[in-house]
Amino acid sequence: MIQGKTRIVRELEKIVGPNAVIHTEEELRVYECDGATIFRALPDMVVLPATTHQVAEIVKVCHREQIYFVPRGAGTGLSGGALASQGGIIIGLNRMIRILETDVPNQRAVVESGVVNVWLAQKISGDGYYYAPDPASQTACTIGGNVAENAGGVHTPKYGVTTNHVLGLEVVLPNGETVEIGGKVLDPPGYDLVGVFVGSEGTFAIATTVTVRILHKPEAVKTLMGIFHNIEDASNAVSGIVARGIIPACLEMMDKLSIQAVEKWAKAGYPMDAGAVLLVELDGPKAEVEALADLVVEVFQAQRVREVRVAKNDEERELLWKGRKAALAAMGQIRPDCYLQDAVIPRTKLPIILKEIEELSQEYGLPVANVFHAGDGNLHPFILYDGRYEEEIRKAVELGARIMNRCVEMGGSITGEHGVGLEKQDFMPLMYTEDDLEAMMKVKCAFNPDQILNPGKIFPTSKSCVEVGQHKRDRIRYEPHRIEKEGLAQRF
Amino acid sequence: MAHTEWIHALEKVVGADHVISGSEAGTFAVDGKVPQAVVFPSTVEETSSVMAIASEAALKTIPWGAGSQMALGAIPARVDLVVALKHLNHLVDHEWGDMTATVQGGMRLEDFQQALGQHQQYLPLDPPFADQATVGGLLATNASGPRRLFYGTARDLLIAITVVHADGTVTKGGAKVVKNVTGYDMNKLYIGSLGTLGIIAEATFRVYSRIAWEKTWLAPFLTLDHAEEAIAQIMDSSLVPNALELLDKAAARRVTNRASIGWTDGQYALAASVESVAEEAVDTQIEEIGRISRKVGSPGGNLLHDEPHHTFWREVRDITPGTNGTAPRHLRAVLKGGVLISKVADAFRVGEEEAKAQGLDICIVAEAGSGIVRYYVSAEDRSLQQFVEGTVSTVERIRSTCEAQEGSLIILEADAALKTRIDVWGPVKGLKLMQGIKERFDPRQTLNPGRFVGGI
Ligand SMILES: Cc1cc2nc3c(=O)[nH]c(=O)nc-3n(C[C@H](O)[C@H](O)[C@H](O)COP(=O)(O)OP(=O)(O)OC[C@H]3O[C@@H](n4cnc5c(N)ncnc54)[C@H](O)[C@@H]3O)c2cc1C
Repeated sequence: MIQGKTRIVRELEKIVGPNAVIHTEEELRVYECDGATIFRALPDMVVLPATTHQVAEIVKVCHREQIYFVPRGAGTGLSGGALASQGGIIIGLNRMIRILETDVPNQRAVVESGVVNVWLAQKISGDGYYYAPDPASQTACTIGGNVAENAGGVHTPKYGVTTNHVLGLEVVLPNGETVEIGGKVLDPPGYDLVGVFVGSEGTFAIATTVTVRILHKPEAVKTLMGIFHNIEDASNAVSGIVARGIIPACLEMMDKLSIQAVEKWAKAGYPMDAGAVLLVELDGPKAEVEALADLVVEVFQAQRVREVRVAKNDEERELLWKGRKAALAAMGQIRPDCYLQDAVIPRTKLPIILKEIEELSQEYGLPVANVFHAGDGNLHPFILYDGRYEEEIRKAVELGARIMNRCVEMGGSITGEHGVGLEKQDFMPLMYTEDDLEAMMKVKCAFNPDQILNPGKIFPTSKSCVEVGQHKRDRIRYEPHRIEKEGLAQRF
Repeated sequence: MAHTEWIHALEKVVGADHVISGSEAGTFAVDGKVPQAVVFPSTVEETSSVMAIASEAALKTIPWGAGSQMALGAIPARVDLVVALKHLNHLVDHEWGDMTATVQGGMRLEDFQQALGQHQQYLPLDPPFADQATVGGLLATNASGPRRLFYGTARDLLIAITVVHADGTVTKGGAKVVKNVTGYDMNKLYIGSLGTLGIIAEATFRVYSRIAWEKTWLAPFLTLDHAEEAIAQIMDSSLVPNALELLDKAAARRVTNRASIGWTDGQYALAASVESVAEEAVDTQIEEIGRISRKVGSPGGNLLHDEPHHTFWREVRDITPGTNGTAPRHLRAVLKGGVLISKVADAFRVGEEEAKAQGLDICIVAEAGSGIVRYYVSAEDRSLQQFVEGTVSTVERIRSTCEAQEGSLIILEADAALKTRIDVWGPVKGLKLMQGIKERFDPRQTLNPGRFVGGI
């Protein structure tokens, strides 16, 4: 609880106006969780600034009073990053929505951090340009949230993730100071502060404006779907594509369970008995796209592809994508609840990990569907369970932990795009030693020395966990998070 | 610790034959400052022990790759120890199926490329003097070349890193996968940090396959205005050159001469390189680039492929100051400016004007699609003082032009006499944050003190 809440509400109202401060429990409920609904925590209040100046004034109050505060974009994050898990103020950026500049000749745009990802794309589309990072949540998520999470999307094999497209930031530091780092021009001298900021999950500062690179649209786009007898053939096709030096714009995979769920839901025309589907999108100069498409089909055929579908127009392209896009919604038919994992493996390990996930699914008696970014080796196992049974929740979480464990053992990572947040902080020691984490902590402390900004995220909470991580990797198990134990947040 | 004591301690770690001191250390001077000793660790563990001794003995320490970029940076406050990494030069792994590879920091880029080449793969980084530079040195200086237009720079290619910190602690960041957001992106912190935060002991990169077809269209232009228009039109199209380089008249003459390409003097050159798995895709793009160039006034042009293509780009990368690369070392300086893409031609104009006003020779080359402009300034027969005066004023003038366009200008290479007169780095945004990071990583100012921005 904040000391002198009424006084502070009044002070904040002076900064942003009375209709931009939320402090009644009923209204605060909206901000109780983000996309990772497994975690809940009620903030003490929410403030909705409309300008950088207002953000800075709010932060100064927080700094003076040493109140915890947490930035929040659209709240679509999938690791609990936007929760006020230790209480305090949420600073919602949803009124900072101006596209400040689109500089087409210089291929740059400057936006306020609350701008929704897809708005930028829409704004520059008429000039023949686009903004490459396209998370599936792009119609809702904010560019500030993308910066914080270093969000990916489906075009990452060729175009990379958010960090490859962000060049400059205006940020409000936790002491209320406004600082500009990076900018429209490349290679600014000094440490790459923008580079470390992207992916810092809202623990360094509040980004108020973001300068991004925009790209000219490609001359041609071609979408192909390969339908395979089994997941091994499809996985080998992925390796084949990568090994041939083909860099597709997208390379997505769906396994049997997902195909069935999606087909029932979206009727995209996928065969119900297919073992796996690969969606490949190629873009670039027309002649190159044609040549690449031939190569991809060759790779498919070497893996006994059952059928290849090539979109002949936009309508057909939409149809091929329809199933992929409906994946999350379709899962609800199998089990009422879904725990979406996010982990990465080196791409050649795909056949092995998918087989192991299948085995784990049987061991735990929970269905696991895989719809994922195969081209990056970024897995998204949908662990399906029924949240009415405590036992199933426990199993789902443990199954997720086992998958992460195996990914790390194969040289991979515990998250490819959703972030650590609250969800995975106790798994950090799987990948990093105490010294590694301390180096990260030093960077955080340079930005956020009092740790009043977004406390209690990313870093492991208990020492014992670090020890387990270093010496007994295989024994890592999910434990209720400290905030759950303390009753600050609860899983439903 | 007394001098003999720490030398002895170092010898115990790496062996007596891997420590040199006294006059032998003279070739490892930085801006004229000779270290008391040079140590050559062969493993990450040795490097760690060396740094533990260095920080214990409060030695001001300079990491040294191949020494090809040691002229970069401000003059160090003091130099006690050089940690030379030439024995830390092994390929750790090349997971060619996953298209990732890990090398030790002291491996030369060229050796790394050769190893990758066994599987027709390579690292698309083409900085100046790629045949000498070490991978660690390239990362520490964030060196890049023409191909950055398509492939980006180290920040787009480095996926994991192992660093030996000032006190000997060894940490890693990132993971050996192409996509990863676990924890902060520490890779970015060390790229371009000039060895002020730690020694890069290992680096893992995302690598690429060699592409079958690659050709260059080399278009001459009589005026900058025409070249500028061609750049704008190529950039605002669906063409995807992997490099787009603008050369001033002096650079064009020199490079074409050295690459044995027929050329008429007195013209600017715009070179666009295109690659693809399909020759047809290369040819149609080259044709379109040629068409745009002619339309805006280019009289003719050359198609380069195979050997001349490669020679051309190597010569572009490795330009040195002076008309024939013969100017004496102390009468040379290399500057790197960053500007908006649309201001590249302006950055040429100011460089040309100012060099002329100062009576200096200048050669200007730009990664036009990235807004990176390199100035090679020199004089053949001037006193050092005259050269320094002229160059200081040139730097100031170009710097203020770059800054007016939201950019920057740094000195990549210069004699210490010039560096005492002008800030190598210029003004830096977010300096306080940078100083805060340095303080936490290297509180005793052991690594490269004084060489980086704002006195870091
Ligand atoms: C259906 C669905 C699909 C998704 N698909 C993808 C996908 O394909 N790829 C992918 O990468 N992610 C995906 N996500 C996850 C999520 O959309 C991204 O992480 C997104 O970047 C979050 O943006 P947001 O605005 O919702 O941020 P929030 O959830 O509000 O916040 C996320 C984090 O960012 C911080 N933050 C927010 N704004 C700022 C700011 N201005 N300054 C500093 N910190 C800030 C918060 O404190 C928090 O830690 C998906 C989510 C959903 C629900």
